[in-house]
Parts: sequence; structure tokens; C-alpha cells
Amino acid sequence: MSTDERTVEAKTPVLSGDGVVGGPASGSVPPVSGGGATAAAGAAVSWHEKAADAGSSGARDSALGGDRRAGAVVSRHGETAGSGGEASNLGAATPMGEGPGGALSGAGARSATWRATLRLFRSEVGLIFRRPRTVAMLVVVAVVPVLCGVAIRIFGADGEALMAQVAGNGLALGYVAFSIMTPLILPLVVAVVAGDALAGEAGLGTLRYLLTAPAGRTRLLGVKFAGIAAFALATSLVIVLAALVTGLLLFPVGPVTLLSGTTVPLLDGLLRIGLITLYVTLGMIALGTLALAVSSFTDAAIGAIVTTVVLVLVSQILAFVPQLDVISPYLLTSWFQRFDGALREPLATGDMGQGVLAFAAYIAIFGSIAWARFTSRDITA
Amino acid sequence: MFTRARVVRWGVPAAALLVVAGAIGAGPVIAAVQGEPQLPELTADQLLTEVGARWGGPGSMPPMSGTIVETASLGIPALPAVPSGPSPLALLSGSHELKVWYGSADQVRLAIPGPMSEQNLIYNKGQAWWWDSAANTATKIKIPSGTPAPAPLPTAVTPPDAARLALAMAESDTAVSVGNDSTVAGRAAYELVLAPKAPESLVRDVRLAVDGETMVPLRVQIFAKGAAEPAFEVGFDSITFARPAPENFTFTPPPGAKVTEGDLPVLTQERPQMPTGDLAVTGKGWTSVVTLPFDATQFKDNPLLAGAKTVAGGKVITTKLVSALITDDGRLLVGAVTPETLEKAAG
Repeated sequence: MSTDERTVEAKTPVLSGDGVVGGPASGSVPPVSGGGATAAAGAAVSWHEKAADAGSSGARDSALGGDRRAGAVVSRHGETAGSGGEASNLGAATPMGEGPGGALSGAGARSATWRATLRLFRSEVGLIFRRPRTVAMLVVVAVVPVLCGVAIRIFGADGEALMAQVAGNGLALGYVAFSIMTPLILPLVVAVVAGDALAGEAGLGTLRYLLTAPAGRTRLLGVKFAGIAAFALATSLVIVLAALVTGLLLFPVGPVTLLSGTTVPLLDGLLRIGLITLYVTLGMIALGTLALAVSSFTDAAIGAIVTTVVLVLVSQILAFVPQLDVISPYLLTSWFQRFDGALREPLATGDMGQGVLAFAAYIAIFGSIAWARFTSRDITA
Repeated sequence: MFTRARVVRWGVPAAALLVVAGAIGAGPVIAAVQGEPQLPELTADQLLTEVGARWGGPGSMPPMSGTIVETASLGIPALPAVPSGPSPLALLSGSHELKVWYGSADQVRLAIPGPMSEQNLIYNKGQAWWWDSAANTATKIKIPSGTPAPAPLPTAVTPPDAARLALAMAESDTAVSVGNDSTVAGRAAYELVLAPKAPESLVRDVRLAVDGETMVPLRVQIFAKGAAEPAFEVGFDSITFARPAPENFTFTPPPGAKVTEGDLPVLTQERPQMPTGDLAVTGKGWTSVVTLPFDATQFKDNPLLAGAKTVAGGKVITTKLVSALITDDGRLLVGAVTPETLEKAAG
């Protein structure tokens, strides 16, 4: 199954040039070659057969687990020329994911729904992480702390106290890495994945077919959000692990000196870096939610990505204007680096707590905007 | 039907926005709904005596810890050139945070948090340390025995310190009254209003919020004439009356840090070049004017001087709270009074 998906997915970018996928457009799509197409088409057909008499939970599962690839392939064969309208209606009519085979009842149905959602989530995570682009971004994200550590090792750390700390204790590279990456690199990476989430699928034409599966728009959006959250967590973990391993290899590691001048045991220091990791992750999830909302308004993934990055840059520039200090607490970016409270003794939770509240507010507002837009829009491409 | 469904859907983000806006705005609203805290009535004289007895002299404070926020809006242009660090000039504009732990008169810790840095003054039984994380230096400060803990910075004014200064002023020509009880740092507080009687003073009044239970000054606000917002305010943002953990007062220089001995480095390094020479004070109390020699050419490019107004015999800088007159014969006159008073004092 997975090899078939790969083959088809490798072909998908060919579609993006056309933008529109539909009856007439599908004729212009180059034919998918090789066994992959046949196998995937087979999957598509089987989905249709099963969906026709969708009575058992198994059918629902395979309908969801059958992945968007099936839908994409169907479109290429022009079999679902008439189902475009259905796709949008289906989503609008069944926002909560009650599919056409809604004969299921009680706990069984609920657990089947959960299993189906889990499969959809797994497919989404696979889609995010198996992309060469994602792998490349994760590599870049991992390389920066390593380079940083190597540079401090070779050239020493003159002047900059934070860097000098790294030379004295490799663990410090963990938070140095975060303070270097949270202003730009990390938001950029998250914006690429989150901005692509809906707009990318819409642009490729896979979104409408994804919606023909009885997943429901709300659940699909939830899965997209969970995928972004998983990616944000993975990025933060890659950074912190790369930094800690580099620090461990290049520098002495021992008790940690905090900003307050207090020295705490190694384990305490690790826990504090873990706290920073979670904080940064939540911040990036908030940014990802914003990008997801932007992504729900457009069919051009690059538009959503650029918009998000521009928003990040603009709000960081605004933070440099002293006259605009009033609005800075309301800007998302001004909270990204407020994790230094974790490095004070006693733990200064005030700033971080407010940051978490700001992130939660952003997630609530932009998550609901994405939901309102995505569940009410017509999927035309 | 379709449009109605859409409207309902867009109602969700609208509601989310309202909830967030409500949560942000809830603080003042809740305070307004709760109204004034109920404290036993005290007359101005009783309150002044009560507060003055404790804070007029070397006051004693119960063990506490808290966060102090200091805000100055003197009405001078924001100074982008001023580093946001703990420089004395930073006092002039913006908001600054300070953390304080107070165990007893000989156990005090003050922390000035900065972005990815922190400065600490730790005073423990005659031994004082100054820790600067950005410079990675620990300085052991020599203190003559018997003196109280030094203030690390001119900016590090605690509300009790400010209250002491204000009460000293109250001994001169002042109308003392009791304002409305208010809530400061979550505690019910009396408000003591000290208003200068002299018409030439730029100060409308100084308001002291005093904790209703412990009589600890929680907030000091200075209002300029004709301004609704305080020109200067220092107050507790949060306060806990409990003995802080003893770890707060112990300091061992961390490995790798530069350890030196001497004065407070901030005071010696970052103090602006104070003009040397005679410093004369004329007038007293609220209307006192400080005269000192001043070389204007040295400060030619200073943004403060750019806004100066030329008058007969010199240049005048006015802010909401303070006026300064630079005379052509090389004197600087400063006071919380009208420019005309300065000109008169300059003679």
C-alpha cells in the first residue's frame, strides 16, 4: 500500500501546474504510468464498491484509511466528474463527520469513528513527514544548533555571556539554540507546513476528494491541526536533541548555572529545558493555527505560507517601534522568546503563563476562523 | 438557509474573539463591579501618623516578596538611544520590572530581569553580592558595617522608599487628605493624598496607597497638574507577606564567573557624567530648585536638548513634571516647578 502511495504522490506535483481539477481539466493531466496507477486505481474502485454498501464499520474504516490518494486517482480517470458538487454538499451537510453509512450506533460506532480519525491522523502525519521538503527542513533545523556548537568550540565565546555559558556547560546550548531559532527559522518552517495544510490540498485538487470520504470537514480540520501540532513538537524536539547531543559531545556537562546566578543539578536543568521545549512548541502551534486559518482562505499554498511569514516579520518589526509598545502584548511573536523565566530561580512563571494564555487565545480565535471558513466554503478546486 | 448556516458558523470565531477580549478587559471590569474595598475609616491625620510612624524613619517591613513595576511617562520623547538595561536614564521613560525578596533588614534580594539576562543584588547579614548574568560577573560589595542594604540603582526604587521621600515632602506646605480606598496588588489599601499648596509647583498631588492591614506602602503615584495619568508610578504588581525561602539570600559565585570585589559596578560605570562643582538648592519642599554648573556643548546632540525652547537668558525644557533651565552663563536649574519660577531663581 505504501509504495503505491509513494508512486502516486510523486506524480501529484505534476497536477499542481493546472490548478483546477475537474471534468475538463482532468483531460490535460498526464497519465499516471506504471503499476502504481493500476494499484491505486484498484484501491479507488474498491473504495467506491464499499462505499456503496457502507453498512459495516470496516467499510468506513477503509474509506477513511483508503487515503486521499484514492480520490486523486479517481479524478484522473474522470470517474467522478459529477461528484464535485456532491463533495462540497457532503461536507456542508455532514460537518460532524456523520457519513452516508450512518447506520452505526452506540459505542461501536464511536470507537470506529475514533479508529477512523486515528487512521486519518496517521495518514496526515505520514504525508507531512515523508515529504522530502519536510525532511530537508528538519535537517536544517537540526544543523543550526550543531553549527552553533561547533562555532563556539572553534572560535571561543568572546563577550557574549550566553555563549560563554555554553563553553562552560554543553546543556546551555539547548536554550541558546531556541533563542536563535524562535525569531525566524522556526516560524518559517512551521508556516511552510501549516500554510500548505489546506491550501496545498485545494491547489492539488485532492481536497474535494478527501471530503467525499465520510470524514467530515470538522474532523478533517481537526486532523490537519493535530498534524501541525505533531510537526511543531517534532521540530522543537529535533532542535533540543541536536543541541543537547552537540553540547554533550563538544563541551563539559554538569550542574547548570541559571540567569539568577544560582547553580542547579543537571536533572533540574534538563527539566527546565524540557519546559522551554513545550513552551516553544505551544507557540509554534499557535502560529501554525494562524497559518491554517490563512490556508483555508486560498487555494495557493505558497500564498498562505508567504502571508504567514510576512505577518511574522511585520509584527517583529512593529516590536522595534517604541511608540507601538502598547500593541506588543497582543502580537504573537512578542511571546515566542519569553521562556527565560524557566532559567530564573525561583522559576518565574508569570511571563510564561501569560505567553501560554496568549498562545491559547490565538489558537482559539484562528482555529475557529479556520473552522468557520473551511466548513462553509465551496470547494471548487 | 445556506446564508443563515454561514452566519451561525462565523458566529463561533466572533464569540471566540469576544471571549478573549472579555478576558483581557475583565480585570478592570471586575474591579469596577467589586467596587472599593471596605476598610475602617481613618482621618487624614490618623493615616498620616500611622504611616509616618512606620515609614517616616527607618521603617521595618514584614517579611515579604513581590514584583514591583515602575512606570514613568514624563512627557519627554521616547529615547531610542537609551539602552533598555538598568541605566539611570531608563528611569525617564517606559516601564520597568523589579523583583524583591525581603526576609529582614539584613536579608534582601533584588532582581532586575532583562531579556535572557538578570541582575541581582543579594544582601545577607552584612555580605552583599552583585550578580550580572550578561557580563557573567559576581561582585562582592564592600559595605561598612551597620549601614542598610545599598540600593543597586536609582531606578530600583521600592514603593516604601518612594513613600519615605514623599512623607519627607509632606512636612512642608502640604494639604493632606484621604482618597478613595483602592485595591493594589490584590490587597485593600488606604490612599493618602499629599498635594502641594504652592501654585508654582507642577505636581498636583502624590498618592500613596498603603496596605490596610500592614500599613506597607504598596504604590506611590505622582500626578502632574492637568494630567489624568500619573507621570510617575512605582507600585507592587504582586506581593506576598510571607518569609521568602532562605535560598534566595544565599549566593555562591557560579563556576566560570568572573569574581571581583568593589563597589556596585552599575553605579560607577553607568552613572552619567555628573557635573562636578557646587550644587545649590534654593527654595524648600515641593518647590525646591537645584542649581548646578552645566556645559551645554557637551550635550549638543542629546535628543532632550533638541526640544528645548529658547527664552531670555537660556533654554527651557519642560516635561509634565519637571522643568529645566539651561542658562547662557552655564548653569542648569531643575525643579518640579513652572519655567517662570526657574527663570526667577536664575535671577
